[in-house]
Amino acid sequence: MRLAFWLYEGTALHGISRVTNSMKGVHTVYHAPQGDDYITATYSMLERTPDFPGLSISVVRGRDLAQGVSRLPGTLQQVDHHYHPDLTVIAPSCSTALLQEDLHQLSAHSGISPEKMLVYALNPFRVSENEAADGLFTELVKRYAAPQDKTPMPSVNLLGFTSLGFHLRANLTSLRRMLQTLGISVNVVAPWGAGIEDLKKLPSAWLNIAPYREIGLTAAQYLAETFAMPAVYDAPIGVEPTLAWLHSVIEKLNKTGAERGFSPLALPKLSAFSLDGLSAPSGVPWFARTADMESFSNKRAFVFGDATHTVAIVKFLRDELGMKIIGAGTYMERHADWVRKELEGYLPGALVVTDRFQDIAKIIDDEMPDLVCGTQMERHSCRKLDVPCMVICPPTHIENHLLGYYPFFGFDGSDVIADRVYLSCKLGLEKHLIDFFGDAGLEYEENGVPEPSELEPSNGNGQVSPALEISKESVAEDGEMKWSDDAETMLKKVPFFVRKKVRKNTEAFAKTIGESSVTVEVFRKAKESLGG
Amino acid sequence: MHPIRDGEVAGSNNQEKHFMMQVSGDVQIIKEDNVTHSFCGLACVGWMYQKIKDSFFLILGTHTCAHFLQNALGMMIFAKPRFGIALMEEGDLSKNEPTLEEIIREIKADHNPSVIFLLSSCTPEVMKVDFKGLAHHLSTADVPVLFVPASGLVYNFTQAEDSVLHALVPFCPVAPAGQKSVVFLGSVNDATADDLRAEAEELGIHVAGFLPESRFDKMPAIGPDTVLAPIQPYLSRVAVKLERERGARVLHSLFPFGPDGSRVFWEDLAREFGITIDLRDREKASWEKIRSQTELLKGKKVFLTADTMMELPLARFLKSAGADVVECSSAYINKKFHARELEALAGVRVVEQPNFHRQLEDVKVIQPDLIVTSLMTANPFAGHGFVVKWSMEFMLMPIHSWSGVIPLANLFVSPLLRRSKLPAFDKEVWLEGVMPSAE
Repeated sequence: MRLAFWLYEGTALHGISRVTNSMKGVHTVYHAPQGDDYITATYSMLERTPDFPGLSISVVRGRDLAQGVSRLPGTLQQVDHHYHPDLTVIAPSCSTALLQEDLHQLSAHSGISPEKMLVYALNPFRVSENEAADGLFTELVKRYAAPQDKTPMPSVNLLGFTSLGFHLRANLTSLRRMLQTLGISVNVVAPWGAGIEDLKKLPSAWLNIAPYREIGLTAAQYLAETFAMPAVYDAPIGVEPTLAWLHSVIEKLNKTGAERGFSPLALPKLSAFSLDGLSAPSGVPWFARTADMESFSNKRAFVFGDATHTVAIVKFLRDELGMKIIGAGTYMERHADWVRKELEGYLPGALVVTDRFQDIAKIIDDEMPDLVCGTQMERHSCRKLDVPCMVICPPTHIENHLLGYYPFFGFDGSDVIADRVYLSCKLGLEKHLIDFFGDAGLEYEENGVPEPSELEPSNGNGQVSPALEISKESVAEDGEMKWSDDAETMLKKVPFFVRKKVRKNTEAFAKTIGESSVTVEVFRKAKESLGG
Repeated sequence: MHPIRDGEVAGSNNQEKHFMMQVSGDVQIIKEDNVTHSFCGLACVGWMYQKIKDSFFLILGTHTCAHFLQNALGMMIFAKPRFGIALMEEGDLSKNEPTLEEIIREIKADHNPSVIFLLSSCTPEVMKVDFKGLAHHLSTADVPVLFVPASGLVYNFTQAEDSVLHALVPFCPVAPAGQKSVVFLGSVNDATADDLRAEAEELGIHVAGFLPESRFDKMPAIGPDTVLAPIQPYLSRVAVKLERERGARVLHSLFPFGPDGSRVFWEDLAREFGITIDLRDREKASWEKIRSQTELLKGKKVFLTADTMMELPLARFLKSAGADVVECSSAYINKKFHARELEALAGVRVVEQPNFHRQLEDVKVIQPDLIVTSLMTANPFAGHGFVVKWSMEFMLMPIHSWSGVIPLANLFVSPLLRRSKLPAFDKEVWLEGVMPSAE
């Protein structure tokens, strides 16, 4: 038992519904108490679904438990009657899992054909969002994928694209654009937009593309074992990884093509991948070599997120933008070993593996990085500390569900990420001017700087309701120390960007030399010993 | 889709049992099976922890409870949030009783609350955790720990506020017999509370306070000469408890929403104090202020799908404003506590614990002009071409009494006006690719 305030990964139920909400003709029935379908709001509000997510609850009330009544068979009949799904996935909630009811037997009582039902009776106390989603998707692929002939022309499946995935639609567009340029058709995207018939024809593609470590990988591995389908598992995030990905896709397709007497595909001139077909496909390689970016080279970055994005972004920042990585971590304990292996040689210390946001907030507070790449929670922690932050993976905020084309995948995605790094960080030359000369005319009125909590956009965490957003709560300042007026005046001469950090470091220094307040003298000593 | 046959509810079949319940007058309540899209009682944490400023709300629950609070309610965690989950993980399931001492210590050290509310959730309820014993065991003289039943096995959405107030009753001093005074029942923000207090005092009614007040040590005194005036429609249990335990009188009136509700509420409350007032002119003036809004609402078909349990008084206001309320559904209807609202809704189809699948089919047939519905269902209804309003907004806007009349009317009118200003919408074009699973 521990006190929790906020969690990175969602529940098993959330994972299941991410898959089923992605799919055509698939409905989920939760055997759960009233309120467990709050999950519906994550789709209807974050993805702004213009239709009802296929999600129903077979409501369990206290009275039903007392009377030994189960409404599951009746609910399944209602769902069948109203929505005629091709498949209904039946899952327990935390409380009904405890009751150890036999969902198979209860479902059978509905009289619905067993072919139209899938009981996914996982243990919600042991399995969380991503594992549940990956597991259910694999179950579905196992159930429906059927042996069949390959498509006549080279084709791929795009696996693991799932409702509420990070910048999902833009990433799909970016991949489709690249595949189109190569003349490769997309056989099936799954689960996003796929129906049962689509799952059946998965084995007709020449190659599986499963770029997400969290969802889709296991299904691709199953298809590799059972149908001898090759797969590309890398995420094309960053320019070099995208080039490697393209080579890998071509190489694997050509291998299948050779067996079928198909003339090999070749990588076209890279400008073919640009938006106008006439330009460099990405601005990043040149951007990284400009003097502008050179002034970024001392920026210290900290990265925290899921497995896929943590690995990709660390590599992108260091390998392609030449930034310093001061640390990284993931909340995906299941994939921590993979992340560790991928990031060997990239990190100055051990990979941080935690699902407590407070741990990460503390690292940020201690290190005061120049850039944090994280989740919505890190964005929030950073706002309090005035540390630049960009969101690179779920859990997200409504701010990451925008209308424009902002992929993270492919050449297009590299430009998007680089732009976000650039806009998030305090600038290079400008910062030198400020550091050297003081405020460089950029000083805000001290009282005019909005409190971090006021900067929070009105829709808060996202999550969904603007209404109960708790934005007025004051942020408690910890360990405040008294400063003399002279020392305060002196502090004001420090550039405002770093003032908070200097205040904090000075106070910490004062404590170590046994001072209980900061005077001009203490401040000077601190500057000397901390290097200005 | 099945068209509605005369006098029958569409989509009803053997599986969706419903029956009619006769109440006073000619109001019939249709009761269905509660297959709705709404939240469980834990939702009340969202506003209750903000209302009672020196409190901490501790939920004994699972990952699901935590995910619900952080997602559905858009709760953002600040440096020291005054609510949290004592997270039950797999290893905790085999233990006889949860041990919360360490967590309580942590909460006290970080927050120094005057009171800790211990909320139940489904999993520990299924485990038959002895919450009363647990809360008693964790309580100290300085910081009581109060059990608040809130689980979705029993409670919907706002009903757990009733549980919180229930738990606060022992901390309301006993008011000796003598001075007659009113205690308003229900949490509202401070500005609304000030308005209500001033209004009562102007009428010559002595105000003893609000349950809840915004501090734990300021809960109002309640006794045999207290008149309890419910200002939120989901607090029937605590009203009954105070009637029984303290001999207080519960005002049975309309809830103070809209010109009609405000007039009846204040006249009835004044009558409890032996004061006769005639607020008809005031009501008329108030309707006049929202004439442009009521003109727009006149004859408009409005459908309320059941969510916050504010549906009865909202529907009654709409009906008084000339709208055609085609269905008013609510998760819980109490024939005594809601008697006056039900009378005023005579002729309106009132459904308790509705079935959402049936509602969806009815909506397609009836084609309402406005649907008041939950966060889960609003956008999908809009995608089907309907004009929608979030039911939850009514809980978080100052819509009480006279000063709330304009905001109340505007909440209904603004989506209608906005939609009328937007250009024509061809969903075949503009919804393509937004939700491939529905195409």
